[in-house]
Amino acid sequence: MARSGLGSPDQAVEGHVAQWRPGRVMVLACLISACGKEARDIGPTVAQTAPVGKKDPRIALFQGNVWQIAQGGRYFQYYGCAGCHHDGAPGTRDLADGLRRGADFPAVFASIAHGHGDRSYATRIPDEQLWQLTAYVRDLERHTPQKRRRQMLDQRSEPQAATWRGPQ
Amino acid sequence: MRPDQDRLDRLSLTWRDPPGLWGFLTTVDHKRIAARYIVTALLLMFLAGMLALDMRWQLSTPENVRMGPQLYNESFSLHGSTMLFLVSVPVMEAMALWLVPLMLGQRNMAFPRLGAFSYWLYLGGVLTLWISHALDITPDLGWFEYPPLSGPAYAPGHRADIWAQMITFTEVAALAASVNVAATILKMRPPGMTLARMPVFLWAMLVASIMTILSMPAIMLVTSMLIADRLVSTHFFSPASGGDVLLFQHLFWFFGHPEVYIIFVPATGFVSAIVETFSRRPLFGHSVIVLAILSIGALAFGLWVHHMFAVGLPRLGNNFYTAASMAIALPAGLQIFCWIATMWSGRPWLATPMLWVIGFVTTFVIGGLSGVMTASAALDLQLTDSYFIVAHFHYVLVGGAMFPLFGAFCYWYPKATGRMMSERWGRIAFALIVGGFNLGFFPMHLLGLMGMPRRVYTYPAGMGWEGLNQVATLGSVVAVAGGLVFVANALVSYWRGAPSGGDPWGGSTLEWAGEAPAPSWNLAYTPMVDGLTPMWNGGRPLRVADGVAIARREVLITSVTDADPLYRQKSASPSIWPLLSALAVSAMFIASIFTPWAIVVGAVPIGAALTGWFWPQRPRRSGA
Repeated sequence: MARSGLGSPDQAVEGHVAQWRPGRVMVLACLISACGKEARDIGPTVAQTAPVGKKDPRIALFQGNVWQIAQGGRYFQYYGCAGCHHDGAPGTRDLADGLRRGADFPAVFASIAHGHGDRSYATRIPDEQLWQLTAYVRDLERHTPQKRRRQMLDQRSEPQAATWRGPQ
Repeated sequence: MRPDQDRLDRLSLTWRDPPGLWGFLTTVDHKRIAARYIVTALLLMFLAGMLALDMRWQLSTPENVRMGPQLYNESFSLHGSTMLFLVSVPVMEAMALWLVPLMLGQRNMAFPRLGAFSYWLYLGGVLTLWISHALDITPDLGWFEYPPLSGPAYAPGHRADIWAQMITFTEVAALAASVNVAATILKMRPPGMTLARMPVFLWAMLVASIMTILSMPAIMLVTSMLIADRLVSTHFFSPASGGDVLLFQHLFWFFGHPEVYIIFVPATGFVSAIVETFSRRPLFGHSVIVLAILSIGALAFGLWVHHMFAVGLPRLGNNFYTAASMAIALPAGLQIFCWIATMWSGRPWLATPMLWVIGFVTTFVIGGLSGVMTASAALDLQLTDSYFIVAHFHYVLVGGAMFPLFGAFCYWYPKATGRMMSERWGRIAFALIVGGFNLGFFPMHLLGLMGMPRRVYTYPAGMGWEGLNQVATLGSVVAVAGGLVFVANALVSYWRGAPSGGDPWGGSTLEWAGEAPAPSWNLAYTPMVDGLTPMWNGGRPLRVADGVAIARREVLITSVTDADPLYRQKSASPSIWPLLSALAVSAMFIASIFTPWAIVVGAVPIGAALTGWFWPQRPRRSGA
């Protein structure tokens, strides 16, 4: 399977289909494995601005990619989101329920970026990380509390909200 | 005793496989199974070698853009995992599967269907890793995937699961093969071949098999714990909640270090066989070599920690494992001196197998010396994770195991195919591979000492590493070209090679007694052994015994130490059940990457397949 490298990932996705047209089996296998789901492209990010509508092609690149979602999970700890959004928190703060369920990507993005009053995350968190956080929050339905706790414990020695002492 | 044609016909009828595809899928002929194993492993060696060449291309110039970091990580992980788990260990087991019954004058392995099962499961592991690679789910954390990096927090997706489950596949396959080899060697030796008269090759395979049986459970356990951490959020490797990431390293290397010797010890068996035949004299110091192999087998379990000096250990731990690591140089050195003494006092015949042995001795000694250097905890702290280590382990694994393997391939090729490989192209391949290898890997010692770390996808200009990296890349190209010559020689000789006859080299051990290519039933009669070199008995014909059935599949079982004949044992006939069982096990292994319920649900088809496999075929006799 072709790797997108530094090029635009959506071009690469189109490239797959064109490239593998003779090999239908590979296309099928590719669809089963959800093409690009595991890709980990380290290069210029496509997320330099907020999402434009529900059909923004960049959404699939974040929502459909396990690495982007996992990065969102790390930043969820880094920025101390878990301080308010934990299991059993009141109302929409509750991690097990909350506004993420059924909400579309731009709506969740906007509520993270602009829905926290004075904290004004839109100006304090880089756009790419906001994209990753949004993807993580929308993916939370699939994360059991045990899995979240397990990941949080692994990341506990990283500089997170409660333990961060400023730049080293 | 010359067998008459009627006997040969009846043997062929009894031991034949069904024709066509069905025969291919159901065969329990150890030679067919082992040949598949070897061809698969060599194909993978080619693919992983191409990955290596690609990586050398990337490193040939500073800040090269052939690969990004992610692709480089995937490349070296796939290269290492393939070479260690899917090439080196299986190919050594395959050589045992192929040669052990021949060298014992037996008709098949002790558990013929287990051999077939082993191959199919191994193939499952191969396909798991490489189909995942085709789907861009390549493991990217190296050939040992330490948590927490491989844990649920830092390795999302299924890359690490694929790696861990590929290991489960290959380890079950390796256990199946090893149990088979050990049982065959211990219980199926020909009359007269007491333990004291057992060729070194068989000792090496026996020790390697027992080491496999003792060490593989550790890694199956640890990769299963890793999968559990990732799949059902257990806390084995979560220090913050009482787990321990070092547990992974200890269990991994408790397998990982013996694994090096599981690869190397069979190679000493190849070398001993080749040196004996091509020096035209019985091996010098047979007992010393056997005792050296046994002590390597024991010591190998006491020095895994030298892979972990840099993680921080108690001072006494470092001292102990430094001493143990250096101690293993003694038996290895004794073996080398015995082989040299054999050549020295014999009449060496420098055919290609012998050339490979000489290439092995020189290259392996360099690898052994850098091993003594890295065995020192103090020095290892400076050298670990540098290119010095890359150079060291390629010298011991390629020089210490692959060169003997290539020699063994040339040596036993006539037995397998009935044709000789070209000596001239064999010499060219030898020169290119050994020369290219040394040109490619020696500079890496220097690069490591100059500070170049391993597992970096590029380096900045001006570090002074450019020249040596280019030499290393050039050497790799030469070695790969030599590999292609070697493969081409093997392929062309398969159809065009000169007919070899049954014993082209005048070999010393029993596999040379029969025809070439070896027929499905191996030897027409049971050989009787009265010395270490049964084929070199002063020109007298080999003594043989009759009595094992020829109208049905039967093998002779003998006692463990004295090889006294005990009874005749029914030998299993071709069956589809090993393949079906392997398919059921593969389905369970793959599905358990995604859901823990696969273990429960998947046990049902496995149970069904095993029930079919072991369904009784003889009526019970009353009182029996």
